[in-house]
Amino acid sequence: MLLLITSAAAFFLLSSSGSDAFTSLRENPQVSAATIEKLRASYGLDRPVIERYGAWLASAVRADLGESFYYQVPVTGLVLVRFWSTALLAFAAIGLACVVAVGLSFANVRYRSRTLSIFIDAVILIFASTPRIVISLFSLAVLVSGAINSVFLLSTISLAVPLVAILLAQFGQSLNDAMHEDFIRTARAKGLSETTIILRHAMRAAINPALTLFGLSLGALLGGSVIVETVIGRPGIGSLTVTAVRNRDIPLLMGVMIVVSLAVWAGNTLAEILQLVNDKRIRALEAE
Amino acid sequence: MTVRSGASAAATAGIALIALFAFVAIFADLLAPYDYTVQSRTLPNAPISTVAFTDDAGNFSLRPRIFASKMTDALRQTYEADTSRSAKIKLFAKGYDYRLLGFIPVDRHIFGTTDKDIRLNLLGTDALGRDRLSRLITAIRFSLIVCTIGAVLASLLGIMIGLVGGYAGKAVDTMIAGVADAVISLPAMIVILAARVAFPLELPPFTAAMLLIGLFTFTGWAEMTRLTRGLVKRTRTLDYITAARISGLSGARILLRHILPNIARPLLTQTTLILPAFLLAEATLSFLGVGLQEPEPSLGNMLAAASDLTQLREHTFVLLSPAIVIALFVLAVRLTNTGINTNEDREVI
Repeated sequence: MLLLITSAAAFFLLSSSGSDAFTSLRENPQVSAATIEKLRASYGLDRPVIERYGAWLASAVRADLGESFYYQVPVTGLVLVRFWSTALLAFAAIGLACVVAVGLSFANVRYRSRTLSIFIDAVILIFASTPRIVISLFSLAVLVSGAINSVFLLSTISLAVPLVAILLAQFGQSLNDAMHEDFIRTARAKGLSETTIILRHAMRAAINPALTLFGLSLGALLGGSVIVETVIGRPGIGSLTVTAVRNRDIPLLMGVMIVVSLAVWAGNTLAEILQLVNDKRIRALEAE
Repeated sequence: MTVRSGASAAATAGIALIALFAFVAIFADLLAPYDYTVQSRTLPNAPISTVAFTDDAGNFSLRPRIFASKMTDALRQTYEADTSRSAKIKLFAKGYDYRLLGFIPVDRHIFGTTDKDIRLNLLGTDALGRDRLSRLITAIRFSLIVCTIGAVLASLLGIMIGLVGGYAGKAVDTMIAGVADAVISLPAMIVILAARVAFPLELPPFTAAMLLIGLFTFTGWAEMTRLTRGLVKRTRTLDYITAARISGLSGARILLRHILPNIARPLLTQTTLILPAFLLAEATLSFLGVGLQEPEPSLGNMLAAASDLTQLREHTFVLLSPAIVIALFVLAVRLTNTGINTNEDREVI
């Protein structure tokens, strides 16, 4: 349902604008208006918008999203390949951000060091304030200098930096809150070691708000890939979007929008399921 | 106690920074020493001007002077200071004409030099020999205006829809909530880029600004709607609202006069939070070449020059100066918000 609305809105907005892949040809004196009309007709662009949307929708349900004007290949395959490449990147970035954020938060509540907590605040502030463009440019400079030779690693780091700030702020806070709960006092009274208490009891309580964040950050990561992939020059869904925009490749853009919406929806659903698995309280609530 | 004073110190620093940004935006023409479009083909990618505290005889002098830059290698674009040609730095020097605050005709700029041909480039020049500081100041003005208007419009739209959603019946509310959630979960950057295609790629500056504002409003309202809806729902069950309803006030009046003032504070915080997001989005779009375009400067299209890695290695600081400006602005807003939120506690809601 959501997909239908998104696709229809996008299609009508893009089609009603009166500009398409051949608009730029009008400025070329060697191409006559008649030639352009013929070209548009051969792609079916002269038919009314509703008719075109109908045709698009009919083939879209068969997973055929048309052909890209710019690349001259079927959109479905192209978008899926590029999406997979970015999805790997996004997962790596989430993993990296998790390791850093969970590690630092754990060390913070375990050792309660003043220096460490100031360090964490500084990391949050700096990481959240640095524009992604700068991080990407920095990664590009590192790449060119040859110090680190992996495009994937550098893209992952560029994508992960702002996420680390968000996760660290959120997870650090909820872990801290969890440490003041009654069940932690119970665990302490049982004589469990501090490390066990944090790992087994506090983490589990703190992880749910972070899971909600996951679903939301998936969209942000896909958006962030636009800059990272364009600057570093890695083929993915982000750089594909930019190419599609620059060449007014509307079928390709539609494909990108559909796949991205699907991915975000899947991410949110996955986060919800994981929350259910993790927290008995929500399950109890749903059962009522 | 220490936490509180630390937080208010952060808030003060943040507010001071924001005030500085506002000052730069309002007095951009006064602060920019040169016209941001004037090119100097003999000085492309010139470094920061050499300032010396000496007089012509070489003795120490309090009045600083600068040396002309001389190109030593046209291919690699390297420069050295030409000690035979110098000019004194002058405060409130004559420059191009402009209107202060939009209506007072002035031709003075905060600083300049005694010799018109020897220019003081505090951040060097760009690839076309334009003064980078002047461009940066103009870019700050553009970005701040676009983002502030965008944030205000997005907030107003979001609050309006949110008020209706929170107060209206279940069917309307469910629909509004569904659409808002959909807009929030989609990556804003990709949606903005996709919507951008509906308009010509090259646009005059004013149209580009309007378009950016429109796109930001179009994608930014949902977050505000979600917050407003939640707050209205929490407030509408309170006793004083019931009292107002029983006394026969209209729904619109209750919403605007009784509910809105009581939820204004968190809404305001949210407005300031979307401001840096818009600034980043504007920079990203202009960086990709689909926002504000040359010759108009924006924080994003100035950063595009940093993609030239040989230049970036030579002039790292000046090429990244727009990025530093963006980072400072985001930092300022964050500092202000953390400070204020810690001080006011959470009992407000």
